[in-house]
Amino acid sequence: MTIREANLAAYANRFSEYTELRLQQNTNVRVALLNGDVVTNLKSVDGGVSARVFKNGVWGFASRPDLAGEPIVATIDEATRNAQVLARYAADEQSQLAPGVRARASSDFGTRRPRRSQRQIVDFLAALDAHIVATYPGLRSRSVSLWNLDMEKRLFTSDAADGYSNTTRSLVVVNLVTSNAAGEPVELRRPFGGRGQFEDVFDDPALLHPEIADLHRHLMAKRDGVRPRAGQHHVILDADLAGILAHEAIGHTTEADLVEGGSIAGDFVDQLVASPLITMIDYAHTRDGETLPVPVYLDDEGVESTDTVLIDRGVLKGFMHNRQTASRFGANATGNARAYQFSDEPLIRMRNTAILPGPHRLEEMIASIEDGYYLMWPSNGQADGTSEFMFGVQMGYEINSGKLGRAISDTTISGVAFDMLKTVTMVSDEMHWSCAGMCGKKQVIPVGMGGPSIRCRVHLGGA
Amino acid sequence: MTPSGNDRALAARALETLVGRGFAKAQVRLASTERHELNANTGRISLLRTNHDLQLALLGIIDDKRSTMVINKLDGDAVAAAADDLWDMAQGSAADAANDISPAQPPQRFSAGPEQVDFDAMAQRFDEYLDYARSTHPTLTVREGHIDFNEQRSLLLNSNGVDFESRTARYGAQVMFSSRQGTDQSSFNYTGLALAGLDRPLHTLATLATLMRQSTEQVRTRKTPGPFTGDLVITPDCIGDFLGFLLESVSNVPMIGGTSLYRGRLGERVVSPALTVHSRPRDLPAGYFITADGFEAHNATVVEQGELRSYLLDLYAANKTGLPRAVTGGGCIVVEPGEEPLEALIGGVDRGILISRFSGGRPNDRGDFSGIAKNSYYIEGGEVQHPLSETMISGNLDALLNAVVGVSRERADFGSHVAPWLRVSGVGVS
Repeated sequence: MTIREANLAAYANRFSEYTELRLQQNTNVRVALLNGDVVTNLKSVDGGVSARVFKNGVWGFASRPDLAGEPIVATIDEATRNAQVLARYAADEQSQLAPGVRARASSDFGTRRPRRSQRQIVDFLAALDAHIVATYPGLRSRSVSLWNLDMEKRLFTSDAADGYSNTTRSLVVVNLVTSNAAGEPVELRRPFGGRGQFEDVFDDPALLHPEIADLHRHLMAKRDGVRPRAGQHHVILDADLAGILAHEAIGHTTEADLVEGGSIAGDFVDQLVASPLITMIDYAHTRDGETLPVPVYLDDEGVESTDTVLIDRGVLKGFMHNRQTASRFGANATGNARAYQFSDEPLIRMRNTAILPGPHRLEEMIASIEDGYYLMWPSNGQADGTSEFMFGVQMGYEINSGKLGRAISDTTISGVAFDMLKTVTMVSDEMHWSCAGMCGKKQVIPVGMGGPSIRCRVHLGGA
Repeated sequence: MTPSGNDRALAARALETLVGRGFAKAQVRLASTERHELNANTGRISLLRTNHDLQLALLGIIDDKRSTMVINKLDGDAVAAAADDLWDMAQGSAADAANDISPAQPPQRFSAGPEQVDFDAMAQRFDEYLDYARSTHPTLTVREGHIDFNEQRSLLLNSNGVDFESRTARYGAQVMFSSRQGTDQSSFNYTGLALAGLDRPLHTLATLATLMRQSTEQVRTRKTPGPFTGDLVITPDCIGDFLGFLLESVSNVPMIGGTSLYRGRLGERVVSPALTVHSRPRDLPAGYFITADGFEAHNATVVEQGELRSYLLDLYAANKTGLPRAVTGGGCIVVEPGEEPLEALIGGVDRGILISRFSGGRPNDRGDFSGIAKNSYYIEGGEVQHPLSETMISGNLDALLNAVVGVSRERADFGSHVAPWLRVSGVGVS
């Protein structure tokens, strides 16, 4: 029996308290070519059953690596025992769950095409690698990697919420390394791809050639790049950076569990925290009819996922909730509770977090800066409850008298988001989604990030 | 809990399946784990979790082509189906003479850690920690945290006759906290511990009590009085962010890819002579007995008084580069102490920063870095002045590791690493 076909309702007679029963299987495929050699050729299939039980304000949880039969019963029983034990010694009668409903949802982003074999996948990557070698001689090092993740889930709860989802993602990551005049390595990497399995995302390797040409062009500029001047500057954050800003600097501060833990966003509801040009939403699954990178229709608590407006024209409006925080805040659960593996409990996680486009064109935004930087591609990022953020920037250019100048070397930008967003004076009219993000918060999980380009002031690290 | 006869039979059968399928070389690793975890959120215990898992990692090589498959279901024909998948994956790969499995070694049985979980001790220590937080630091909130017990029994068999059996068990704790007074809020801070037992209160271990006290001070922060170039006093909490550049650079990908600054420099002085760095998987509670490439793990000295003594290459990378394989599988870093008291280390700083957490962009291959000094303090005239806000530090990690001018005699033991405080010079602050 497949996960989709599993009849979890048949186990409802074992539920003695509020219970969530979930089957889940994650399939990861990792292939990596380093300078043409296959250094990783891995597939992992990791699945099982989990149960989470709520009693007197606390949770019991248990999991086993099985998808059917007696172990499911044993898992429900063990989670129930854990909840009972914990309720005896740490009950929190004030803590309740927002009302549940009998929600139903099914979504499948698996391919309908014939599956490619691992040989075909390796051949695809080898063809990309051969193209790089033939087209861009003189590189110091190169790697081409595939990261595929399929997350298949089946959920049934005491409220008779019943869901199936198969959320898929396929990425090819290209990393190019050259040498600068001093013989030192200079690198640049980009992920390509997004929602869907390999067959739906990658057809012909030649379709990635323009993207690789763009990557190489920027690498050549970065090879002769200069260190940016440390300090506060006017900058344009391109869409990828605006997306990570939305996720890291604002998104995390508006997760209700972090608000409970003291996030500064808790002080600012209905207050102006950003320029009126800024509207920010954590989308559940769809925007303007387009399915987003990480579509969530029913979360892992059986709650129907809804869009959550975080900032509306500069004013902080609300938070992302699970059922427990929704009850405490007197709000609606928003369908943000998600777990990464079968053995993980659901946590409040973002789904597709974006700053909305504005009225300006990127060209006029660059032209508006006399002395500053155009910052394009992030490397990593982190923020904390004060909304202070940091992002690594792996590609950017100087802006001199409204024109792009020399490339800059790797740097870091920082600021306090609720201050920095007030410095936004222009927002571009395009929208770009990224699906390469893996957010860490006890567990990792795929997230979507989106945004336009924004003009603001940030602090750059540098010389 | 040691590997059961049933586990041994499963692993042996899996190896036979791979050899029978036609692989010239094969390795299997069967790992059973049991994890018990008590969680807290916003200062209250909130969840009790029990995980059971079983994982079978299969590695096969045919015609110098390698593939790896990991499954966690061993029922019915699952292993045979995985062997078929593995075969197809290997056939689809590219031949590389560097692919290999470990040679025959004497069979070994290893065991470390508590024989069984003590739930009462776990609950008591976690309660005690949360009580300590509430009573000692009423402005501090433990935002999330857990105490856990992890037990893993594993078998590694390969077609060269390697037969290793290991059982490891340890307690662990992770806590994240921040402080608040009125509307003033500190940055979050966190730490993690790996423990062989629960004989001491959690807040007395490593730097936890210091970090919590500092958190309450960090609700009100100030910037440095202008940009400057000065010293960093790097705490054991974030030493990995700085040493990590060296350790990563002598590992597989940069060494194979030719981007490492340290390739060809074995036996040369690569960092300050004040630094001696070991990888000691056999000594720490977070350690291990068997490397992923099928060797018995041993302790190794990576850097001795500044000289590079060992790369951190596995079997494939060693074959690929023609350089020696590391006898350690990495991690479990132990940094030798110096002779200076911490107080004197700080006392010698004219202008600088005591840094407890670094939040920075990924350093490039040259080691250029920049990032925020979080949960940190401004030092002037040899004295800690005030907690810092929005302070960016920049520099080069290769240069920084060569600019270590002091190592404290005190160290902190996290169970996963043991480290002193370092003082380095020449870091840009803006």
